[in-house]
Amino acid sequence: MNGTKIDYKKELETASKGMIMIHDHNLLIKLLVRMLVRKVQLKHAGMILYEPRRDTYILTVSRGDPGERIPQNFIRFDKDHPLIKIFFQKEFKYLISNRNALVADDINKLLWRESVIEGVNGTRQLLHQVSDQMPMLNSVACVPAFYHHTLLAVLLLGPKKDGGRLDQDELDFFSALASDVAMAIRNAQLFEDLKREADRNRNLFIQTTIALSTAIEAKDSYTHGHTERVTKYALAIARRMLAKGTLEAPPKFLENLYIASLLHDIGKIGISENILMKRDPLSREEFEIMKTHSTRGADILSPLADFEGCVAGIRHHHERYDGSGYPDGIKGEDIPIIAAIIAVADTFDAMTTDRPYRQGHPKDHAFHEIRTFSGVRFNPRVVDALVELYEKGEI
Amino acid sequence: MAKLLIVDDEIDVREFAKNFFRKRGINVFTASSGEEALGLISAQSPDLVLLDIRMEGMSGMEALRSIREQGSPVKIIMISGVEDDDIVQEAQTLGVTGFIHKPLVLEELEKVVMAELSPHS
Repeated sequence: MNGTKIDYKKELETASKGMIMIHDHNLLIKLLVRMLVRKVQLKHAGMILYEPRRDTYILTVSRGDPGERIPQNFIRFDKDHPLIKIFFQKEFKYLISNRNALVADDINKLLWRESVIEGVNGTRQLLHQVSDQMPMLNSVACVPAFYHHTLLAVLLLGPKKDGGRLDQDELDFFSALASDVAMAIRNAQLFEDLKREADRNRNLFIQTTIALSTAIEAKDSYTHGHTERVTKYALAIARRMLAKGTLEAPPKFLENLYIASLLHDIGKIGISENILMKRDPLSREEFEIMKTHSTRGADILSPLADFEGCVAGIRHHHERYDGSGYPDGIKGEDIPIIAAIIAVADTFDAMTTDRPYRQGHPKDHAFHEIRTFSGVRFNPRVVDALVELYEKGEI
Repeated sequence: MAKLLIVDDEIDVREFAKNFFRKRGINVFTASSGEEALGLISAQSPDLVLLDIRMEGMSGMEALRSIREQGSPVKIIMISGVEDDDIVQEAQTLGVTGFIHKPLVLEELEKVVMAELSPHS
């Protein structure tokens, strides 16, 4: 008898500790309830879980013999329900903490010993309600799962198949499992909260980035909509390259590309409007100043950790495949692919839209041009992806 | 003895509700589908039907329409999840006694059913 007990304890303990690590409390609960039923030979068992959105408790997981087990997600227990309320009633704290559980037999015994509870308002009525409730749910014991003072779950235990009682040793063990469940639920909630917080920060970050990119356009009104289109083209190219297998993207590549495309001209904030808006061709000096926008942009963003993956895309979006570009004159695969993609997207949009100094070209002309410079100005893998998108009518 | 028909495609719900109301001295029948329910209503003339809205095959609403088309005035309580107002309204025009929303409070189910089945109702 003791041998089998130790067996299932080990199994359950291992299972529950493992599940806490992987944040999956739902799986943990299903597994625990199923194993309890099987190993302890209960007619049925279930888990009543606190549902924060509805502020109520729901019997969510139930296992056991057909006809014995309680249907899942069928019954709820509001906070004033006797089976929930009793766990918060100070008069019964000793009873539950002595046993680590609410035991139907204990309640019935207490009801016989009237004197113990006489004189305390409502407690006798609560005991009666609990003693009515437990048989309704065919339950002999309920084990609470608290985290600090919050009741997160109640493990509902049906009778043993052989009619035997649950001994204290078993109840203590179930209580330890219930604590694991509480911890797992709590961890999952914290994890969710953190994720939500991170998402919120992320959204704020993206919105700030969009605001910044709008600020660039405000300075350079001739390029209205340019950043938005470049971003669209760059992402389409990258996705195409990923699908073709010509791009090995590190984690967050698309996100970094998105941000870098939005901000590739941020350095223009530091360039005089006389140069930005000039209709006539730029003088050599003016062009040298214009060229500084890519390093200025990288300098503006490099102190910010969130932009770490995008800075190279901004600094190098005017490099050329043959090494004749700026600011560093790097060539070929030395040019970060994020920058090579933006370069193609940027050139394509610049060619197909009107500029202060000229009218835009039709798209097929732009494609022809970009193709001609594949391997000279542009990374051929990027050009191939752009051409495919064009041929498929996606650009 | 009062007769109650429980219609639900989930066996656990049927079994649990059957045992629950039998212990309260009710004569309980169960049906796992709308079709089966139609047959039992004409064969057994229950005093009350608990009818689940969401069922595989014939839904609870379809079953409700057929019950009324069949001319049966039997009292019906719909067991629902989160349903559209349209469904609630249609059910009301088809003369249902009430709705109970899942997940339900067991005492409420008990109170409502026992009230409908008491000799004075």
